[in-house]
Amino acid sequence: MKTLKELLALIIIIIFASCEDVVDVEVQEGPKRLVVEASLDWEKGTMGNVQTIKLSESTPFFDTNTISAVTGANVAVTNLTNNETFDFADQGNGEYRTTTFNPVLGQSYSLRIEYNGEIYTATETMTGVTNITDVFQAREEGFDTDALEVHVVFTDPIEEGNNYLFKFQRDGDLLPDLEVGEDEFVNGNELDWWYEIEENEEENITPFAPGDIVTIEMYGISGAYYDYMKILTAQLGGVGLFETTPVAVKGNCINETNPENYAFGYFRLTEFVRTSYTFVED
Amino acid sequence: MNRKSPLNPAIKSTVWLLWFFFMGCILAMGQTSHTISGTITDKSNGETLFGASVLLTGTTMGGVTNEYGFYSITAPEGEYVLSISYMGYTDVNLKINLDSDLKHDVEISEFSTELDEVVVTADEPERAILRKPEMSVVKMNIGTVKQMPVVLGELDILKSLQMLPGVTNNGEGSGGFHVRGGAQDQNLVLLDEAIIYNTSHMFGFFSVFNADAIKDVKLYKGGIPARFGGRVSSVLDIRQKDGNSKNFELNGGIGIISSRLTAEGPMFGDKGSFLVAGRRSYVDLLLKAAGEDNSVSFYDLNLKTNYSIDPNNKLFLSGYFGRDAFKLGNAFDSSYGNASGNLRWNHIFYDRLFSNLSAILSRYDYDLEFAQEEFVWVSSITNYNLKYDFKYYLSDAFKLDFGANGIFYDFDPGEVTPTADTSPVNALKLDQKRAFESGFYLNAEHKLSPRLTAQYGLRFSTFSRLGGQPINQYINEQPVVYNPQLGIYERGEVIGETNYAKGDAIENFDNLEPRVSLAYLLNDDASIKAGFSRTAQYIHLLSNTSSVTPLDVWTPSGPFIKPQLSNQYALGYFRNFSNKIYSLEMEAYYKTVDNRIDYIDGAELVGQNSIETEILNGEMRAYGLELLLRKNEGNLTGWIAYTLSKSEQRTLGGYAGGPGINNGEWYNAFFDRTHDISVSGAYRLDDQWSFGTNLVFQTGRPVTYPNGQYRYEGLSIASYADRNSDRLPAYHRMDVSVNYKPRKYQNKRFKGEWVLSIYNLYHRKNAASISFGQNLETGANEATRTAIFGIVPSLTYNFKF
Repeated sequence: MKTLKELLALIIIIIFASCEDVVDVEVQEGPKRLVVEASLDWEKGTMGNVQTIKLSESTPFFDTNTISAVTGANVAVTNLTNNETFDFADQGNGEYRTTTFNPVLGQSYSLRIEYNGEIYTATETMTGVTNITDVFQAREEGFDTDALEVHVVFTDPIEEGNNYLFKFQRDGDLLPDLEVGEDEFVNGNELDWWYEIEENEEENITPFAPGDIVTIEMYGISGAYYDYMKILTAQLGGVGLFETTPVAVKGNCINETNPENYAFGYFRLTEFVRTSYTFVED
Repeated sequence: MNRKSPLNPAIKSTVWLLWFFFMGCILAMGQTSHTISGTITDKSNGETLFGASVLLTGTTMGGVTNEYGFYSITAPEGEYVLSISYMGYTDVNLKINLDSDLKHDVEISEFSTELDEVVVTADEPERAILRKPEMSVVKMNIGTVKQMPVVLGELDILKSLQMLPGVTNNGEGSGGFHVRGGAQDQNLVLLDEAIIYNTSHMFGFFSVFNADAIKDVKLYKGGIPARFGGRVSSVLDIRQKDGNSKNFELNGGIGIISSRLTAEGPMFGDKGSFLVAGRRSYVDLLLKAAGEDNSVSFYDLNLKTNYSIDPNNKLFLSGYFGRDAFKLGNAFDSSYGNASGNLRWNHIFYDRLFSNLSAILSRYDYDLEFAQEEFVWVSSITNYNLKYDFKYYLSDAFKLDFGANGIFYDFDPGEVTPTADTSPVNALKLDQKRAFESGFYLNAEHKLSPRLTAQYGLRFSTFSRLGGQPINQYINEQPVVYNPQLGIYERGEVIGETNYAKGDAIENFDNLEPRVSLAYLLNDDASIKAGFSRTAQYIHLLSNTSSVTPLDVWTPSGPFIKPQLSNQYALGYFRNFSNKIYSLEMEAYYKTVDNRIDYIDGAELVGQNSIETEILNGEMRAYGLELLLRKNEGNLTGWIAYTLSKSEQRTLGGYAGGPGINNGEWYNAFFDRTHDISVSGAYRLDDQWSFGTNLVFQTGRPVTYPNGQYRYEGLSIASYADRNSDRLPAYHRMDVSVNYKPRKYQNKRFKGEWVLSIYNLYHRKNAASISFGQNLETGANEATRTAIFGIVPSLTYNFKF
């Protein structure tokens, strides 16, 4: 029986486990652009006064020194309903901060950045989010029926057009995972969003195990930001065989001075809920 | 909303020209002559032979048999020798006295009656055909297919075709094929005249055509005859065997992926025959035995039967059913497949007028079941096709094809049904779409002089997108709008919808498609040919991935999607030399396609009811040079094929505004290959041993690589360069095969044969894709290559009795 299994394993390897390896590839070098990470995220139940905007510059793809903080820019956000303006102070490390921000759901805000003699602007609406009603673990579901996954349960509001950004990060892992969802086919229903980690031996990643702690953040996002993040997250980790041709993801920051020199990143205003889950023996 | 395509002046004048030709020829008729007609069949199994040459020796009079083995020659009264020849068969010469109309059915024998696999000299591709204006056509005998080394022991007609110039795939493990820089959905694939919508099993690893059930394969890369329509790039015409009408016969094979069994034999006494061929993969059974949750499998079934009512009437019934299934743990379960059937009636009105009436049904559908989310998703395309074709052998110098067909389409792009009350998904049915396509054609094959032969014809096609569904109305009639500030394309805003009743047409299209080609014989061994064809395509496959997937959906032309229109020009030089042992074929082509759709960034095609908000109309152009040098006879046979080509796409903003996709610049098509070299060889050592080899070299597939990175959300985000402006590394490999037929079987009814194939002998890790991302452990960006097949040995046992 063992030899048969060995044969099977061989066939499976031949058919499915097409081999993957890391290779050296030469890539083109595109223009250097301003990167705007203007994520004004308001955790439900907090004041949301302290907000940070990060500015940096893009770098060559294989460049390992990816920190290229932008300092000396002028950054301000204005509430378009009452014209209240919040200046973001340069922290000298690429971060710009305010401690007086006043988030209001459903109101529109504009961002203005002055950098290198060019003006960048963006507008966006503060979007709310529903509550997470339950978090639990299971094993049988998900793509890998042997791996533990965490389930996040919430009820999509009855009106159409709710969009979600999920951020999962296990304690000790280097990188977070981002996923987006919309209510197009599931409007108004109770939803169960599951997340599991695939084993990856080369990169030393194991599936969830009892004792692992995962931080879960669920953001309410605008339709435009959903479209943006859908492309961005689909292209994370690269595109494989049956996937769409990757494209330059364009955010909502417009360069008023020189439109060609548009900025990467996004000006978003979201409400979010955060929870964490500790896996137990099942 | 009814718009007529304006007749362009060039087409108008072509139409007039054609009319004069026809009239001239019909009037030129009228000396005392008689007709000899009949059917050419294989003596061993009664299969009719398509493309056999039938000549009156010493004259230039004659022709080739049609798809049903029928020939008809009209010549002045007199004594002649009727000479019948067909590659791999012994020539037959018959003395005839043509003093009245004659009917002569002729049986001819193969040189050798061995198993197909070892008949090396007998079943090679044909020599360069010099006299017929037909160009850009590849005919491949199943014997040739069976000789070539294959991956995992699965014979694959489509992969064999890719060894010829002008035909490529989109990388290992991708389905379908590309012809002369055309897209996959631009190929009309016919199995016994039924449209096959998905040509591959297991996402593209294997083709749906079971070589044991196939008689012959003809690929029109250009110069598509007027009787075909509906696709702009090529026609792949595959005919199933009729079944052995002399003896009962079993054929089979046992491979490592699948096994197959074919039964054929006489039926209705000597009035007919049947064929049943089945094939099933057993990877799923093995996976299950190994305790694996994931599973993948396929099967197919080919059926054919025919019945001769009398010498002038014959009925054929053929069917194909194929299905794939795959399963990912408990999460996902899916199956997909083609089904088709065709009932045909061959009727010979009189010895110079042959006709065939076909009623054809074909369908492709898939279903997906998401167990955890508790819903099923189904999608299908069905068509009903009625087709009547005539061939009129007016005189030796003039033959006329004419006919008509009508296809009714039913598109069911998708329906979601929750399987439980607790399902988070709401029921949904995308608008069902209906359409009717018709075609009328007239085509002449005309010997203008002993050296010059012309083939000219015209197809008139119409397409009606039928009502029974609402159509969205958009602000400014723009389903897609350019946002100049953000530099992106966005979905237009719906302001209402127009409901069309079932009896109404939403939009009508019609097109005149002239097809002309000429052959000029330079001498007995060489000819030049030139051709022009215009083709129209009314249905489109929605796919924005580099490789087509089984879950892509077809959509008809309508208010927002125009029919694709193509013009192709080709020029060729053909030559046989060294006593026809070698042949050389050289062709150059240039083609354009209008109204080729492409997709806006972030297009959502799944579950999309208003596909018009995701697309822009663009164009394609392709040009190239093809070279094929073949050795047709001897113990060593084979060919060297080289293609130098370019295939590009451009998609401007059009009514949506803005520059368009890739800033309105031309970009490489996914299937653009600058160089493509294929060498295929077969060597027959003796009765027991023969060897085969394939060598392939191709420029890498166009891809889009990153050109920078930036930090966002704690991740390194790649920014990407212009569309398809990079290329994967060059693709190359070598395959070998050994066929061994033990001598002990040679004089027995039971014959067995072993085939050992080694695919990718030097184990090159050809990149199917290279993806870019962060290493999860170190955070550094890296490029990961996916290679599908390394070296793959396989062993197959074939038998026949």
